[in-house]
Amino acid sequence: MSFLVAFQIGLREILSHKFRSFLSMLGIVLGVSSLIATMALTRGIEEGTRVFMQQLGGLELVSVVGKEPSRLMYDFANLSPGRTVRDAVAIRRSAGLISHVSPEIAFTTVVARENGGGAERRSVRGVYADHFVIGMHEIAHGRFLTPLDGEMGTRCAVIGSTIASELWPETPPTDIVGRIILIGGSPFQIVGLLTRYEREEDALARRARKPLQSRRWDPFRSKNQSVLIPFSTMFHEFRSGAFPEDSMDSLRLDVLALRVGDLNHFRAALEQVRAVLDTTHRGVDDFDLETREDWFDRVESSVRAARLSGGLISAISLIVGGIGIMNIMLASISERVREIGIRLAVGARPRDIFWQILVESMLISLIGGMLGILASLGLIEILKLISPTENIPILTAGSIVFSVAFAVVAGLMSGLYPATKASRLNPISALRYE
Amino acid sequence: MSLILLEDISKIYRVGDQEIRALDGVSLRVEEGEFVSIIGPSGSGKSTLMHLLGCLDTPTSGRMEVCGNDLSHASQDELAIVRNREIGFVFQSFNLLSRLDVVSNVELPLIYGGVPAAARRARARQAATDVGLGDRLSNRPAQLSGGQCQRVAIARALVNNPRIIFGDEPTGNLDSETGNMILRVFEDLNAAGKTIILVTHDPAIAARSQRIIEIRDGHIVRGQQP
Repeated sequence: MSFLVAFQIGLREILSHKFRSFLSMLGIVLGVSSLIATMALTRGIEEGTRVFMQQLGGLELVSVVGKEPSRLMYDFANLSPGRTVRDAVAIRRSAGLISHVSPEIAFTTVVARENGGGAERRSVRGVYADHFVIGMHEIAHGRFLTPLDGEMGTRCAVIGSTIASELWPETPPTDIVGRIILIGGSPFQIVGLLTRYEREEDALARRARKPLQSRRWDPFRSKNQSVLIPFSTMFHEFRSGAFPEDSMDSLRLDVLALRVGDLNHFRAALEQVRAVLDTTHRGVDDFDLETREDWFDRVESSVRAARLSGGLISAISLIVGGIGIMNIMLASISERVREIGIRLAVGARPRDIFWQILVESMLISLIGGMLGILASLGLIEILKLISPTENIPILTAGSIVFSVAFAVVAGLMSGLYPATKASRLNPISALRYE
Repeated sequence: MSLILLEDISKIYRVGDQEIRALDGVSLRVEEGEFVSIIGPSGSGKSTLMHLLGCLDTPTSGRMEVCGNDLSHASQDELAIVRNREIGFVFQSFNLLSRLDVVSNVELPLIYGGVPAAARRARARQAATDVGLGDRLSNRPAQLSGGQCQRVAIARALVNNPRIIFGDEPTGNLDSETGNMILRVFEDLNAAGKTIILVTHDPAIAARSQRIIEIRDGHIVRGQQP
């Protein structure tokens, strides 16, 4: 007996008991749809995190952060100058695997229009030209700060879109560049306006002229509020003079961010940086290297945990669905003993009966799986509506194939016992069965 | 060579620790083209003999050959293949599948004989038409009379062109006129060369066969040889 015949017989059997078949499929339907939805949900979280991470600098970004020196070094802690511009210079000179170095100092001061209007205390950062690359900035209009700005100590600034729209709400972005802005009372010329950073869904909402959902946390808030000026200008304007012996090189940094040139040499690059900093810090271990990798690993492991628990629940419901099929198949073969007897009498071999029952239960689970796909599409739409994050569920072909395959395997497993039982029926007693 | 050959066949059932010798040293030959009937009271081993002759079961001991196949120790699979190729069954209670129409019922043996679908349908249709059901092909058994049901069963028995047609009280559920008609079909088949084996308790029906095999207490008491 060919597979096709078993398939036809099974299909006819399923169709002649539509409601019963549907009930036996229900577990599979729920299992498959929840499995697909879980996978779409975790995939969405993963993707959202990845995109977010990329926008914030990617894996290549490494931060040098300060820390308490270890107990062993405690007495020598004062030998270390801490994180200074010297570190940045030394890294740039000696750590060849690092492509960009960005020392930053942030401070808060009053920022206002040229006429003093719109004055408000804001965070201003003195940065190197490398900051443009490390901060993953994009210029909407004008230019970014250049190394020349740093050398000359020019009074120029690059501002974020929120600052621009708050200071000059009526002015089109193209007219912002060239205007004068007062930072701590000193005039700076705006040379560049940064792109408005926003999540894709916010951009969509804005284009559709819907009100922005401000209840959400905006990961780009601080980027949009940037006021960036050349590092040297910042030093001369705001930091020198208080202590005459201060030089720019010994200034303590708030941020020292690095970018690894080639991710394939990530570890080696970190070693280089560590070696350089060990020298500039005179052996005091008052710094640490913070990588996105750790963060990524954390996110990944929590996504994995979510996927695992969701998958486990779905798998359990698939197994329960399989048990449901087994129940129905057992009931159905005891109803069909005489039919099986007739089939045996006209020449069906036990294995023909075995395949007939097995194919039927696989078919039930396959149809259940198909219905499950449909149900999952609806489920994912609902999830998209209520999903409180930017992590929109992503449906993948792989998850569909995997779920349906799992369902068919569950059907196969649950069909084995009834099929074996049916194929062991004795033709004589099966024919006599009333 | 005989079509069916039983040599010193015994069939022993165990019920608890009690042994029941349903057949006890039975020997029997049936030649091709014969029309034989098997009679005997209930409990005589008639059913057991019928199951062996119909290749539904194997003997406990002895030698059994059907159509040249030694089935003394045959597996269920071997029995199924011989049943499929060489034997057509007609039962007292018709044993049709109620969910299938006439053609689908008739084609059942062809499915297990591995005949391709198109040929299967054609042959089943032909067999049903041959027994006079040409206008009932897509009816279900519930829509047919008893005589028509038995014709479907006969068409099913014939569709694989077997050498042996086996009737187990084929007229038991029919009125005498319809029963008579069915018996005539059997006689016609016999005239066309088929070997017919009827199991019956009705001496009048048995009398229409060429040879009566009578069984009592597990022994054949009449009609052992052609």
